[in-house]
Amino acid sequence: MSEFQIEIKGASYSYPVREGYNVKAVRNLSLSIRKGEFVALTGMNGSGKSTLAKLLNGLFQPNEGEILIDGISTADEDNTFEIRKKVGMVFQNPDNQTVATIIEDDIAFGPENIGVEREEIIKRVDEALEAVGMSEYRTRTASKLSGGQKQRIAIAGVLAMKPDILILDESTAMLDPNGRKEIMDVACRLNRSGITVVNITHNMDEAALADRIVVLRKGRVAIDGTPKEVFASGLIEACGLTLPPITELARELEKEGFEFDGVVINAEELAEGLCRLLK
Amino acid sequence: MSAIEISNLNFVYSKKTPNEKQALKNINLSVEEGAFLGLVGATGSGKSTLIQHLNGLIKPQDKKRMSVVVNGMSATDRKNLKKLRFEVGMVFQYPEYQLFEDTVAKDVAFGPKNMKLDKEEIDRRVRRALEVVGLDYDKFASRSPFDLSGGEKRRVAIAGVIAMQPKILVLDEPVAGLDPIGRREILALVKKLQKEVSPTVIIVSHNMDDMAQLADRIVALKDGEIIADGTPKQVFCNRNLIKEAGLDLPTATSLADMLIARGVELPRDIVTMEELAKELGASLRKKRSQAVADDNDETKIGEDADGGFYAESYDEDVEVEGVEVNGVEVNGVEDPDGEDEDV
Amino acid sequence: MFKDVAFGQYYPVNSPVHRLDARVKLLLTIMFVVSIFFIQTYFGFMLTAAVLLITILLARLPILSVLKSVRGILLIVAITAIINLFFIKEGDVLVQSGAIVITKTGVHTTIKMVLRLVLLISGASLLSLTTTPVQLADGLESLMAPLKLVKVPVRDIAMIMSIALRFIPTLFEETNKIIAAQKARGAGFDTGGLLSRVKAMLPVLIPLFVNSFRRADELAFAMDARCYNATDKRTKMKKAKLGFGDLIATLFIAGYFVVILLERYYFPTVDINIDGAIFGGLL
Repeated sequence: MSEFQIEIKGASYSYPVREGYNVKAVRNLSLSIRKGEFVALTGMNGSGKSTLAKLLNGLFQPNEGEILIDGISTADEDNTFEIRKKVGMVFQNPDNQTVATIIEDDIAFGPENIGVEREEIIKRVDEALEAVGMSEYRTRTASKLSGGQKQRIAIAGVLAMKPDILILDESTAMLDPNGRKEIMDVACRLNRSGITVVNITHNMDEAALADRIVVLRKGRVAIDGTPKEVFASGLIEACGLTLPPITELARELEKEGFEFDGVVINAEELAEGLCRLLK
Repeated sequence: MSAIEISNLNFVYSKKTPNEKQALKNINLSVEEGAFLGLVGATGSGKSTLIQHLNGLIKPQDKKRMSVVVNGMSATDRKNLKKLRFEVGMVFQYPEYQLFEDTVAKDVAFGPKNMKLDKEEIDRRVRRALEVVGLDYDKFASRSPFDLSGGEKRRVAIAGVIAMQPKILVLDEPVAGLDPIGRREILALVKKLQKEVSPTVIIVSHNMDDMAQLADRIVALKDGEIIADGTPKQVFCNRNLIKEAGLDLPTATSLADMLIARGVELPRDIVTMEELAKELGASLRKKRSQAVADDNDETKIGEDADGGFYAESYDEDVEVEGVEVNGVEVNGVEDPDGEDEDV
Repeated sequence: MFKDVAFGQYYPVNSPVHRLDARVKLLLTIMFVVSIFFIQTYFGFMLTAAVLLITILLARLPILSVLKSVRGILLIVAITAIINLFFIKEGDVLVQSGAIVITKTGVHTTIKMVLRLVLLISGASLLSLTTTPVQLADGLESLMAPLKLVKVPVRDIAMIMSIALRFIPTLFEETNKIIAAQKARGAGFDTGGLLSRVKAMLPVLIPLFVNSFRRADELAFAMDARCYNATDKRTKMKKAKLGFGDLIATLFIAGYFVVILLERYYFPTVDINIDGAIFGGLL
């Protein structure tokens, strides 16, 4: 088996929008992700990031190229559900992904679909709720929850399928800052427990939390590296994105005569650096 | 003159049921014409309920004790209702989900039509509104709003409100869900709208960096009550209050706090990045010139560099990690490269 | 415009009625609804109302939540009442003025019609108030299981029903948002004739439909991503088991049903005379 858990080999995907018009959402894209990585996948609207996410669990099939999850091709129809079990996906709108009114029923939906035994489902629902810190909400209705809580329920619904990979497809885009924090906390915790996380976002603060950032531009990988490397590349703006506020500030400070070792990506680091220069 | 005058406003949802909730508590607020007011507060703090009182979408529950007066018109008076709606333009969250006509021009004309303006005036306003929001009339007027990109749809929706030429513009989270460039453009647009169309602007946002930079006054709500009201500096100075309200501090303010905690001398009322950079730059120069004085050295240091944020622009065809960043256009999606914009 | 959405909304408390097997509740609800059409006398109506009240109390539901669902059909009730009141010409005449004739029979029929409708809707709403959409769907699926043999997609039908119920509050919330937004652009919804009112609703209905399709797309992705239709051997977390409560409930409703049948066919004369109360001075 390959050293990579996710292997995208020259994948392309296009879809028609209007008569005679095709959008090439993903173009001859290659990318490999190791088990346990925390990757932020970013890019401006229309850069192909959400399409790429849907390619990863076989919701879309590439027109060209191949995508392997643990060595299994997503194009292999016999393994479609095997892949969807491995690659759990949480979407953007918290209201559009719960199927059941009662929270525990919704979380059980996935395991029920794949025919897990009753006792095991109950155990999984317990664990999934525990993992997202929503145990006490088990028998309540989802419609009364905050956006962040709804998304945590959506994550629990995916966890109940015991995935190896969690894809957050702009799952924080519609949330308020507190909701974002909740979701990022859960994602980081899950990553520490061994799950590979791919967080699709255009929030740069959030991207900076990942081990690795992949920036897409027009369906291709434009920048790929650690947050520091990516923000130091000088290409962020060219990709239609902005630097995180802290990095932006550090850059402004450089104009004022400050010097830092490399690119600064978090407040703690910046404060340290500034103190060293000012004391 | 006050554009908005609210006194003793209370609002209770689901009165006399188990779900009863007081959404607004004793709100007294007066907004001067020409203000750029940021309304902040955690989800459920009453912001939407408050703004919907401004154009009579929600009516005060007690006409005798409470009053909402907008440009001299009482919002409790049914006669004023229509006029009020046109006086206060309201852009709701994700406004693109309310587009309904088959062409952009017709959709933007919906408001002016309801105002019963004559055809020429409607046409004039539609053209002007599209132009202000940065959409070319000839290119967009006859297109279906449902075929546009997310950012364009939002502009059309905003144009639909602007076309009524409201004196007061209220925007609820106008940048929600947009990518960084989209955010920057819409915020710049809001500033422009204040200058060109609606002199008074109220913006609801969770982003304190944006608020610190844009607003000249901030009103913070918590559980339906106004807990802070003042300039960004005044409001963010009260750290505990902001935390209690479940809000963030602006990035610059929280960084300044970290530095102050580490013994760096800084004023406590820094709210924008520019200010912080200037302050820190000054202390650095001071420290260095001291060091220079101490060393009796004459070397000149601390060159001043100026320029707004986001001023950097990058060359198109740079190679990183062996992958080319090229400028091929994808089906009409505009290329943002090389654009320099200030927020 | 749509301030309270009550009908069909599960009311989450733990009660003996909530705990009943959904299949039993479905069947008993059908029995109850059928019984309403057999009622003949005011005694029968009182008995039915009592049964309903006992069930509401046992279900720990606020009476208000049940009455709210009745509010949704007030217009239909009113129209039926008027038609009955003015078009039944048999029996003793109470009021006569020009073409308007109101008879005693007409009044009785009208009252009974209104009672029937109110009891019917209350009874039906009890089911959805005490049963989650998933339980309801599962119950329906299980009751319709024989239809699988003739290739009826029973599971999909049950799933569609459950999702429809789940999305009612979401769509109502969205409708209110769109209405607010269009009102903010000066749209009026409560003026003009029927046609202009229908036309005025288009700015609400079109975005609502467009958004619903978008939601449906996203939901379909979310369901696929969670392996919907992965296997025919779908399992269930909550296995419906018939319990003692189900037996008691069945006996209770069946007993009531028998009394109603007796009332209709054997003792139609056992009635309460309410003429005095309703007609008062008119007689």
